Amino acid sequence: MIELMHDALIFSFPGVHAEAVMRVELQRTLRIPDDGRDYPLPPGLGRFPLRHVDDFAARVPERWLRHGGVMLPMYQSEALWLRFVSVYDYPFVLKIGTGKINAVTGDAWSDGVCRDPQDYVVVPAQPWLDGYAVEKGVIRQFVAMPLGSGYSVEEQITGAAEHGGIQLVAHPMKAGAWERLKRKVYHLAESGVAYAAVAAPAAAYDMGLAPGGRMRQEIYEDPYRFEDWDFSHRSRCFVHIANSLVWRAITGENPPTVPPTAKEYTDAGLPWFEYYAEDLAALEGAEKLAGLKSVAQLGEQKGDVPLPENEPVTPERVIALRRDLATHEVRQGDF
Amino acid sequence: MASLGQFIRERREALRRTDPSYSLRRVAERVGLEPSYLSKIERDLVPPPSEAALVRLAGELRVETDVLLAMAGKVSSDLKEVIRKRPVLFGQLIRELKDLPDHAILRLVREVRDGDW
Repeated sequence: MIELMHDALIFSFPGVHAEAVMRVELQRTLRIPDDGRDYPLPPGLGRFPLRHVDDFAARVPERWLRHGGVMLPMYQSEALWLRFVSVYDYPFVLKIGTGKINAVTGDAWSDGVCRDPQDYVVVPAQPWLDGYAVEKGVIRQFVAMPLGSGYSVEEQITGAAEHGGIQLVAHPMKAGAWERLKRKVYHLAESGVAYAAVAAPAAAYDMGLAPGGRMRQEIYEDPYRFEDWDFSHRSRCFVHIANSLVWRAITGENPPTVPPTAKEYTDAGLPWFEYYAEDLAALEGAEKLAGLKSVAQLGEQKGDVPLPENEPVTPERVIALRRDLATHEVRQGDF
Repeated sequence: MASLGQFIRERREALRRTDPSYSLRRVAERVGLEPSYLSKIERDLVPPPSEAALVRLAGELRVETDVLLAMAGKVSSDLKEVIRKRPVLFGQLIRELKDLPDHAILRLVREVRDGDW
């Protein structure tokens, strides 16, 4: 079952276990420069507003109603990250697609789950996902571009601009396996700085996600046994991405204001983040995704300037978050 | 079961025990009623005041607005408006749920609908 509460998706499986509850948040953030350098983790700037498509049935495309699910607004070239919180540390398998292309493997979307190569993330081992797995330890940031403009991962891989949005499928761990596991509990302290923002630009309805700048982030290998997952229980959700410029026409609400640029944020002395979980193995990147052009690269090829304000930034203040091996708690270090 | 007047007076007096600004006169002033009128309300000598006055009283005395309105034999006009807009839907819903014990009505769950994709 999935509920929408306070701009977050709450996945629960009451038929499996009362503690099988996971929250997925779609967080606003800075767009990191798409310049070939590797950046640390940008902050979270708060959740995107999230609404049921059914609540605006008269104003959304018919296709969205067929999909069901929810919607959020993004500006062209705005970035997003996904945050995963398992309320009781209960483990989940979570598959993430953009435009029905798997964000971990670059393969076409399927509802099934593949262990090898792993096409999912494990929550709470994976606290967040900022983009596409291009190399081991490197992702390319999720950046919104109008569907049909050719930049999205979907369009680069399939040649068609059919789906857009974000797709999510979750499976819980089997109740029995969870009970056995419960003795070892991993605590994860939250990061993300709340910060207010300002300022905006062109309008297709649908947005798709495209690969932006490079960021140091690992996607962790499933540390559990495959047979411990309960594939007989599943929850799916289609998250539509509406162009912020049409959000008011659809919902009557104003979209959030444009986030600060990476330069404005860094010049203000605000922190970036690095995360270390040394006890977990990281997946290799997907060749299919590594082979795609980033928004800046494709823009150059087309003679466009899709990313205004893309100058390099040197984050000086970086807060280290580490999953502590002894106590399994995340502690902060400064460097 | 306390009457409206008794309920208001007991609540006001309880607050006045630790805070003298909850005298009849001062509370009456703050909610915009004549002290003599509030006194009559507290002694159930007059019919209940308007919804607007009850809303202000509930705020002052820090009690649930809907509870105070119910004791006065009223229903909040925003609730009435909700039912008036879709009378069959909400009428049916309320009648179906009316006998459920408290714990069974704690929350209406609205699921995110999954469709065809």
